[in-house]
Amino acid sequence: MYNIKVRGVLIEGNKRYHDITRDVTNPILADKTPLWWWITAFFASVMLVWGIWGFYNTITVGVGTWGLNNSVSWGWAIINFVWWIGIGHAGTAFSIFLLVLHQKWRTSINRAAEAMTIFAVMAAGMFPLIHMGRIWNGFFVFPYPNTRGPLWDNFNSPLFWDVMAISTYLTASFLFWYVGMMPDFATIRERTTSKIKKKIYNILSFGWVGSARGWLRFESAALLMGGLTAPLVVSVHSIVATDFAAGVVPGWHSTIFPPFFVVGAIFSGFAMVLTMMIIVRKVYKYEEYVTQRHLDAIARVLTFVSLIMGVAYISEIFIAWYSDSPYEMFVFFKNRTVGEYAYSYWAMITFNAIIPQLFWFKKIRSNITIVFIISIFINIGMWYERFVIVVTSLSKTWLPSTWHGYSPTATEIAIYVGTIGFFLLGILAFLRFLPIMAISELKGINKETSMITEKPEDHE
Amino acid sequence: MNNQNQILGVFDDPDVVTDAVKVLLKNDIKIKDVFSPFPLEHVWDLLKLKTRIPYATFIYGAVGTGSVFAFLYWTSVISYPLTFGGKPHNSLSFVVIMFVLTILSGVIFTLATLLIREKMWPGKKVELPDSRSMDDKFVIVIEKSKEMDDATVKKIDELLMKSGAVEVNGSNV
Repeated sequence: MYNIKVRGVLIEGNKRYHDITRDVTNPILADKTPLWWWITAFFASVMLVWGIWGFYNTITVGVGTWGLNNSVSWGWAIINFVWWIGIGHAGTAFSIFLLVLHQKWRTSINRAAEAMTIFAVMAAGMFPLIHMGRIWNGFFVFPYPNTRGPLWDNFNSPLFWDVMAISTYLTASFLFWYVGMMPDFATIRERTTSKIKKKIYNILSFGWVGSARGWLRFESAALLMGGLTAPLVVSVHSIVATDFAAGVVPGWHSTIFPPFFVVGAIFSGFAMVLTMMIIVRKVYKYEEYVTQRHLDAIARVLTFVSLIMGVAYISEIFIAWYSDSPYEMFVFFKNRTVGEYAYSYWAMITFNAIIPQLFWFKKIRSNITIVFIISIFINIGMWYERFVIVVTSLSKTWLPSTWHGYSPTATEIAIYVGTIGFFLLGILAFLRFLPIMAISELKGINKETSMITEKPEDHE
Repeated sequence: MNNQNQILGVFDDPDVVTDAVKVLLKNDIKIKDVFSPFPLEHVWDLLKLKTRIPYATFIYGAVGTGSVFAFLYWTSVISYPLTFGGKPHNSLSFVVIMFVLTILSGVIFTLATLLIREKMWPGKKVELPDSRSMDDKFVIVIEKSKEMDDATVKKIDELLMKSGAVEVNGSNV
């Protein structure tokens, strides 16, 4: 094991091990659920109920309730699907890339980022399901011996790869997340005095005891699972990108798409982590765990990724001009930068490539309100990016006679809002019942990075 | 304390407990286990603990890749070949699904191996020698064998105290 120099104190306030246990488990073991929780849960439920109406409407009436037409055959459903999948990339990117890179500052944030991943990917998965229209035939996507031949799936189709990639991603992220929580469940089990909670957390902990051999196997298995899942971060979004790039639509048929999508996913995911952690640290008073330096590190990552996004946008425009294809030229010079959807293109450029560049200034990075606002801007900007890709390209393809505008209907908006409600409820349940921060990992880094010991030379 | 069959040395610092393990091993005292709230990598080395989980994972991945390819080949070439555009039935793009499912089988079976090897299941009854090892204490467990006379036990107790234990207890678990 090689040592990476730590970036300053990671846990402030000279915490002892017991303080960490107490700080993380107290909100879970508290008997009273705080008022803000109920209020947020109420609003999230209202959103979810509206979403369920949207689902019901789509299933009983059909996809005709959406604003789609023959030209714009993908609308908000695919936009929101890609948006959620992008957000869902942060958790794993966060915990696994930084785990493999031995970046110790991940420990206060990874658990929450992984939880975000799980609920975001679940929210994303609802869109392809509902987009089928006849959802009861959904099992057709799985390869199984059937009475149709047996006619198997087309294993060369990016759409089928998507089914595999996303279900694998969800399963693998969930298992990795869960394994990481087992020792913390055991800690809660030993700490709670309530008999019922003891029983529940014992079931969740799988009877973890924390012996030397147990930890050795645990660490080995967790690192392997993490290492195996890491390439999925790249592959899932590359496959989502091939859904587009394999289509012969102007503005889509480009080899830049897979890396462009992967970077965009990490961008939106990190931004969502930032949004969430700023709220969580405020509400739970975790400023000592999620310090200014943690937020600063995420902001720096975002600055860099934003630059990549900017380069991708510019190179798309350059290639359109350089290719000398009139259709590509049309997409970028007539359809996106000017035209009826120009507002979305410029929103994307401003929010993704320009505004995050403010993070170059230390003053901006250390002002949490501004950081929070910028993180929200990035989330919006990334939504617009998907809107630009899907709608501008599809609404004006090869034949001007097929050109058709697109605007979402109430059903589509309801489904989107519903998934946000679902996501919020999931996060709220996570905050209330599960350990928000990895207790054992925090303890593991506490002495070497943060604790004030008698011997000052122990510190780097 | 004498009628209990385990000696527990309770420590409150990861480095002190590592040093204590070193001292005990130097004195030829057999350590049964060390319970800690987080992984102590040096203790594994000292106790010469090894795990073969990485090899197992490799096998799961390899078997996953092979069986997924066999399935794709069977469905697309043998069972129901579809010819379109002159494309080969045995396609290079199988790689994508093989890649994804290799990872899936690796992850699932690695977790299963961990649970089986550690004999963990939901709702398993656990008895910890000292429940504080889940919070902030590090516990060295030494088994009292029948041959151990009181003098040896006393020596172990003293060694534990000398190497920085905050408490030395007995336990039956």
